[in-house]
Amino acid sequence: MEKYDVAIIGGGSAGLAALKQLSNLGKQAVLIEGGHKVGTKNLSGGILYSKKPKRGKVFNVEDVYGDAFFTDKPFERKITSYILHAASKNKIYSMDLTAAHDYEANFGYSVLLNKLNAWFAKQALESAQKLGGGIIPGVHVNSISWDAQTGKTTITTDELEEFEVKAIIAADGVNSEVAEICGVRPKFTPSQLYQGVKVVVKVPEEIINERFGVESGEGAAHLFSGDVTLNHIGGGFLYTNSNTLSLGAVYHFDSLLSNPTDPSSLINALIANPYVSEFLKDQIPLRKEIDKSLPQEEQMRVRFAVAKLIKTWYELRDAALSPTGRENLIKSGKYSSAEEIKEKLTFIQDQLTQKYGVSFVTDYNESEYGAKLIPDGKRCRMKKPYFKNILFVGDAAGRGIFIGPRIEGLNVGIDDAVRAANAVAASLDKNNFELKNLGESYSFAVEQSPYTKDMTEIDKDYLKIFLDAAKDVPKDIIGSRYGPIIKLMSSGTFRSVAVKFANILGYDRLLPMVESEDTYVKVPILIAERLGKAVNSTYLPSIPSLAQRIAKLNYDDDKQSHIKVIDNKTEFMKKLTILCPTKCYTLENDQVMLAHEGCIECGTCSQETDWKHPRGEKGINYQYG
Amino acid sequence: MTQLNLAVIIKLEPDFSEGSVSYNPDGTLNRAETKSTLGPHSAVAAKAAFYAKVRYGARIAVTTMGPPMGEMALQQAQQTCDAEELHLYSDRIFAGADTLATAEVLRAGIQKLEDKADIVFSGHRASDGETGQTGPQTAWKLGYTFFGNVIDYHVDVQTRTITIKRIVSLQGFYDVVEEVQAPLPVFIAIDPSYKATFNTVSERLAYEKYQKEAKIRADNYKQYLKVFNVQQLGVDQTLVGLPGSPTIVYKVERIPKGKANRKAEVLDGSNPEHIRKAVSKIKEALSAMVIK
Ligand SMILES: Cc1cc2nc3c(=O)[nH]c(=O)nc-3n(C[C@H](O)[C@H](O)[C@H](O)COP(=O)(O)OP(=O)(O)OC[C@H]3O[C@@H](n4cnc5c(N)ncnc54)[C@H](O)[C@@H]3O)c2cc1C
Ligand code: SF4
Repeated sequence: MEKYDVAIIGGGSAGLAALKQLSNLGKQAVLIEGGHKVGTKNLSGGILYSKKPKRGKVFNVEDVYGDAFFTDKPFERKITSYILHAASKNKIYSMDLTAAHDYEANFGYSVLLNKLNAWFAKQALESAQKLGGGIIPGVHVNSISWDAQTGKTTITTDELEEFEVKAIIAADGVNSEVAEICGVRPKFTPSQLYQGVKVVVKVPEEIINERFGVESGEGAAHLFSGDVTLNHIGGGFLYTNSNTLSLGAVYHFDSLLSNPTDPSSLINALIANPYVSEFLKDQIPLRKEIDKSLPQEEQMRVRFAVAKLIKTWYELRDAALSPTGRENLIKSGKYSSAEEIKEKLTFIQDQLTQKYGVSFVTDYNESEYGAKLIPDGKRCRMKKPYFKNILFVGDAAGRGIFIGPRIEGLNVGIDDAVRAANAVAASLDKNNFELKNLGESYSFAVEQSPYTKDMTEIDKDYLKIFLDAAKDVPKDIIGSRYGPIIKLMSSGTFRSVAVKFANILGYDRLLPMVESEDTYVKVPILIAERLGKAVNSTYLPSIPSLAQRIAKLNYDDDKQSHIKVIDNKTEFMKKLTILCPTKCYTLENDQVMLAHEGCIECGTCSQETDWKHPRGEKGINYQYG
Repeated sequence: MTQLNLAVIIKLEPDFSEGSVSYNPDGTLNRAETKSTLGPHSAVAAKAAFYAKVRYGARIAVTTMGPPMGEMALQQAQQTCDAEELHLYSDRIFAGADTLATAEVLRAGIQKLEDKADIVFSGHRASDGETGQTGPQTAWKLGYTFFGNVIDYHVDVQTRTITIKRIVSLQGFYDVVEEVQAPLPVFIAIDPSYKATFNTVSERLAYEKYQKEAKIRADNYKQYLKVFNVQQLGVDQTLVGLPGSPTIVYKVERIPKGKANRKAEVLDGSNPEHIRKAVSKIKEALSAMVIK
């Protein structure tokens, strides 16, 4: 049997950081990832933060990857404005929360995980290969066993021969099979989870700059509460990427269960909001119906020509409306100047309209739909994130920060990964993988992380930013519910006392009060109605159907289903006919039936199913993530 | 471990994709100027060689005979198999060669490789009229044992022996898999159905490593490329090109279609047992289909 020092299971941003850090420390590790390529299975919002807490130290992305992160720029834009909106119908009230975004932060970049994780993988692979390790994509780990006598740890996969390792870092995400294989914790429950849904919308770079009032390279984050939540606890987000926008909705799973709403309509509610839809709009070519009286061959030729021209038009326009895009085109020698690019674009556009009757309309251009569960670290972080010689990091350990609009899983996963890698490296040096040496020392290191503090305690300075931002909101709206709290918190002296008191009470008892429909829905609606300004949409976005959304996704189908329904008559399973983001569940004769082919592996149904990730290379392949 | 040296003979096929085709003033295809691409069978041969790179760290050379534009196909093959040496045998004299004359050029080229080849790979015959004789003829000229229709192979690098699996058609009805062992060197014509599998962590790690290396090498393929004309190859000019070709194609005839090899079973539609049988047959057929 082949032997390796360390196996990392899962190549999301947490697992990749573990590989890079171990390599930085001169230790051999192999990372096993189920997706056919790293980055195809991961989904985020997302903003990747680098933090500088007042007390304690966290390990940031640049600590792991060095300056290459800034020179290669695998991210999208540096977020410089952060705005929270309360929405009701066409009324919107905006509060600038940039101070909350900047709070204890070195920076926050918008990211798309396919690109970001591919870059992380490239960096990690280069270092790992020098030590006889590396990344193995397209392999699904299905079992781990320990020899009763020798304690030898063996990993079994669907694709490869078994191999032996000394330690394991489990970075297999929120629906961790490793946690289940070893029985270290029960599955996360709906009350501990959020469901995130997202679409990526294409808008050329310079249009984004103009619309969001930012320079190239800089970006904005907009957050939404109020009626766009369709009465759920959570909210919407709109982040600017280089030449796309990430529009998403994140709702508490419990809230979705008590008022089942299908995930795509939660996105649609955002798109239908006029303030949001104005951000998304773009010029979209609309094909003319092909003249059926033409000979078959001619019809084919026209269809082909139009498709090709439209594709060229999109590509060229994307480049023409981007400073680097233009620069690259000129450098390539294809064009001599920006004017020439523009002329060519007009030429193609004219051809499309005059020759083929294509019209250009205002609409929006959606390119990828996705969903995934998100663990709320306040409620589900593993207090002891280890089992024997396995250390759990990132989403697999239930470690994510969820405070108001603050969603941080990427940076937390990276911090965990460094701590895990350090603990494993020390154990390798001593050749001692006993609990005391490995598991407990990692657990201790994680407890020391300022992020753990964020998951257990209220930070009064962070809270104050929200109070300051809401100071213009009339007291009567915030109403009897928060009145006394606000009063207490607004005064410096009382704030410390109140927060201390709240912390004694504990998050568990406090959360239902703060994370409520009042906070995310009712109060924002009141605010928007009273203080908001009216926004009118200049067009009607044609929202794709779910079938159209699924048709755009890229899958490698597996004949064999990775999910097995245990009891197809439970209430929970019946609700999945609504809550599955790709409608894989249907009700037939009062029984829930699963068609796994459209599954995007979000994990929403995992609670009551026998849920596994698909076999290596199979299943969804996100292009953006 | 002693080094294992491989050579892959590839066949060029004109690349008809946009921008690659070149025409003569009279409107006919200009073969010399038209870019070449790696034929599908040659691609399988390159993949088969890559298997040995991953398994045994083999050194690989890719060779071909063709016009100067042939280097594009060599680059493609290099990207597939991470070759450290590329040979292009290019001379006007070579034009019009039949299989025997081609084999003479390939023999001379392979003997000019930096290291003596232990295994030479070629694809199955190409689609555009080749008779599948170049491989055996080159093997014969080199004095190598020849194996056709190879679907799998393993090398014992220490004892310098190879174990191969090949498909043998018996009277066109049954395909049997034959396992043969032979001392190196050998010449292998790889079967189109060949698929390499990498089942261990170390193989997968090596696979990723060499793939990355292949990409870098192919980006700088000129560094690895050697072009030979007839003098440089040092072949007897009467044995190559048109003068060295004893065969001429004077007529191409269609091969008469063979009798269909299907078994039919008559089922009775009113018999539930028969219907069940039909359903299970259909299910079986459907489950084997890939639905995209
Ligand atoms: C809509 C949405 C918005 C978000 N917004 C933000 C944000 O703005 N900022 C932020 O910091 N975070 C955000 N998050 C959270 C963040 O995206 C996650 O915390 C983070 O991506 C988790 O990384 P990970 O490496 O722990 O897990 P994952 O990215 O889930 O990686 C796990 C990997 O393991 C692989 N795997 C699983 N099981 C196996 C197995 N058995 N064998 C082999 N491979 C396996 C999977 O294929 C996958 O690649 C958001 C999440 C969502 C869904
Ligand atoms: S089947 Fe389950 S995991 Fe797959 S998309 Fe639906 S809810 Fe998500």
